[in-house]
Amino acid sequence: MKRSSLAGLLLAVGGALPGPVTAAPKILFMPGVADPFYFTMEKGIKAKAAELGAELVVAEYPKAWGPEHQIPILQATIARQKFDLLLVAPTSTDALKAPLKAIYEKGVEIITVDTFLGDGDYSKKSDYSFPLAYIGSDNELGGRLMAEHLARLVGEKGKVFVEATNPDTSSVQGRVKGFKEGIAKFPNMKLVGVEWCQDVQQKAQEQTLAALQRDKDIVGIFGTNVFSAQGSYQAVVNAGLTGAVKIASWDATQELIAALKKGQVDLVLAQKPAEMGALAVEWGVKYLQDRKNVKVPKKVIPGFEFFTKANVDDPKMQQFIYK
Amino acid sequence: MNEGATTAAELAPGSRGGGFLESRAGRALARNWSAWFLLLLLVTFSFTGRNFLSIGNFQHVVHLQTLPLLLAAAETLVIVTGGIDLSIGFVAGLASVTAAKLMQLLAAAGLPAGAVIALGAAGALVLSLLPGLVNGLVITRFRVPPFIATLGMWGIANGLALKLSEGFPVAGLPGALPRLGNGYVVYLLPGEFLSFLGPPAGFPEGRIREVWRLVPFSLVFVAAVLAALAFVLRRGRFGRHTYAIGGSVDAALRAGIDVRRHLVWIYVLASGLAGLAGVFNVFQTGIGNYTTFSAMYELFAVAAVVIGGASLSGGKGRVLGSAVGVLVLAFLQNGLAISGVQPFYRYIAVGVLLVIAVVIDKLFPDLR
Repeated sequence: MKRSSLAGLLLAVGGALPGPVTAAPKILFMPGVADPFYFTMEKGIKAKAAELGAELVVAEYPKAWGPEHQIPILQATIARQKFDLLLVAPTSTDALKAPLKAIYEKGVEIITVDTFLGDGDYSKKSDYSFPLAYIGSDNELGGRLMAEHLARLVGEKGKVFVEATNPDTSSVQGRVKGFKEGIAKFPNMKLVGVEWCQDVQQKAQEQTLAALQRDKDIVGIFGTNVFSAQGSYQAVVNAGLTGAVKIASWDATQELIAALKKGQVDLVLAQKPAEMGALAVEWGVKYLQDRKNVKVPKKVIPGFEFFTKANVDDPKMQQFIYK
Repeated sequence: MNEGATTAAELAPGSRGGGFLESRAGRALARNWSAWFLLLLLVTFSFTGRNFLSIGNFQHVVHLQTLPLLLAAAETLVIVTGGIDLSIGFVAGLASVTAAKLMQLLAAAGLPAGAVIALGAAGALVLSLLPGLVNGLVITRFRVPPFIATLGMWGIANGLALKLSEGFPVAGLPGALPRLGNGYVVYLLPGEFLSFLGPPAGFPEGRIREVWRLVPFSLVFVAAVLAALAFVLRRGRFGRHTYAIGGSVDAALRAGIDVRRHLVWIYVLASGLAGLAGVFNVFQTGIGNYTTFSAMYELFAVAAVVIGGASLSGGKGRVLGSAVGVLVLAFLQNGLAISGVQPFYRYIAVGVLLVIAVVIDKLFPDLR
C-alpha cells in the first residue's frame, strides 16, 4: 500500500511539471556475454542514461554465449524489479522469442541491441515483431565491406579463409554471409573454408593452422570476432607467414589495435557499440516519455569504421577503439 | 557339459573362456588401443589430407596441445586416486591472467624484461597452488565429493579470472614472451645455415617460411614435465600410494598410508600443473587469457585421460597414456579438418570416440 501511494505522489509531482515526463524511466541492460564489445556498449548506455536522468540496472554478464546462459539471468533480474525498458542482445534468433514476448506482455518495452530476433525485421507483423527497434550493425553489409577492403589489400586475387565463432548467432551468420557474397564479386578470388571456433582462441589457432596446412597459398583471413581474429593471427605468426597472409578482423579491441600497429593484423573493422547503446537509450526514453507521438524507426544502423596501419594513429579514430 | 552351459560361461564377466578379446594378442591390442588408433589416424589422414603428413603440421599440432597435455596430466593424477578435478581449466585461465597482471605491474615498476617475465611467471605458479589446497582440504576434511568441491572451485577460479581481467585479455606484455613460447631449438636452411634457438642475426623475417624449424621449445618443456610425472607415478613411493588409494581407500588406510594428506598433495599438484598450463599459455599467445566456458578444457582433459586407458573408478591410468589420448583427439580434429570434413561431423567423431573408449574400459576392467 505504501509503495503505491508513493508512486501516486511521484505521478502527481510529475504531472505538475511541464511536459509529459512522469517518473525517471527504469532501464535494464541485458548483455550477450562478458566481452569487451558489451563492456563498451555498457559505457555508452551508462553515459546516455545519466545524461537523460534514467535509472539503469545492468544485468549480470553471462559467462558464455547462448540462450541457456542468458535466459535464466534475464528472468531472475526481471522477476526482482519492475522495468520500463529492456535493452537486450538476444543470444539466439529463436530461443529468445518466447521469453522476451512474455516480458513485453508484462508491460516492458524492448529494444534489441547488436543482435536481433527472427530475421531482424520488426516492421512486418510476426511473432517477433514486438520490440520497438533493432539497433545494431548490419552484419551482412559489414561482411561485404570487409570482403571488399580485404580484396583490395591482396590485389583482388587469391584464396581466402574465414575463422568464425558460433554458427547459431545472427550477427556471426550475417558477417559470414556478407563476406561470402562480397568475395564472390571478385572473379579471381576463392573462399576455401569456414571454421567455427566457439569463441575459444586456442581452437581458432588450431583450425587456422590446419587451413594454412591444406591451402598453403591462402592470402587473406577474416576473423569474425576478437577471439577468432586473435587466434588466426597467432597461427599466421607461428606458420611464419606474417606479411604473406593479410588478416582482416572484426571489432576494434585494444589487442587487435596493438596487433595492427605491429603489423600482425592488416585491417580492423570497428563497430560502434557505445553509439549503439547510447542510441538505444535515447530512442527508448524518448518513446517512454511520449508514446503517442514518438515513432521509433524499426531499424537503426550505426555505421562502421575501418582501421588500417595508415589511419590507426589518427586522433579522430581513437574514439572507436573498445575500452 | 552341454553347449548351452559353455555359452553362458563365455558370456559371464571375467570369464577366461577364449575368444579374441581374451587372447594374449587381443589384450595387448586393447591395452594400447589408443596408441594403435593414433597410428591408424596418422596413416589414414596422410592419404586423405593434403599436406597432413608434414613435420611442420605435426609440430604445430603438438605445440598447440601443450596446454591440454598438461591439463590431462593433472587430471590423470586425480583420476587415478578415484577422484575428479573439474576446476583445472579455469585454474589455468586464472593463472594465465594472474601471470599477465603481475607482469604488467612489474613492468610498470621499471624492472627489466627478463625479471618481469621470470617473477611474473613464478608468482602466478605459486598462487596457482592455492585452489588445489582448498580443493584438497574441502574434500578430505569435510568429505565433500570431489565432483562438487572442484565444481565449486570451477566457479570461483573463473569468477576471479574474469574479475581480475575485467573480461579483456590482458595485453601489453614484454614482446619476448611469444618469441620464447613459440621458438624452436633448431633453425636450418639447407645450403645456407644451421643455427640454434633462433635464425641468424639479420635474417629477413619475410623468408622465415623457407627455414626448417625443428623441435619447438614447447615440446622440450612438455616432454620434460610429463616424463618427470610419469617417473614419479610409476617408480616412487608417491606413485605407489596414489594407485593404492585409487584401488581401495580402505586397503590403503590399513596399509598405513596417510590418505588424507596424500590426497591434498594430489589436488595441489594437479592445480599447480594447471597453473603451469596457464602460465605457458601467456608465453604462447603473448597475452593473459581467461578461459572461456566453451573451451571445456576440464572435460576434454577427462576425455583424454579415459581414452588414454584410465578408469573413472580409479586405480588405473598412465600419464603417457593420457598424453596419447590428447594427441588422438587433436589429430582426429586436425586430420578431419585437413581432409575437408565439415566442422559439425567432427563433433560427432569426437563423441563416438569417447563412447568407444569407455566401452573398452568396461570390456577389460582388469587391464593395467
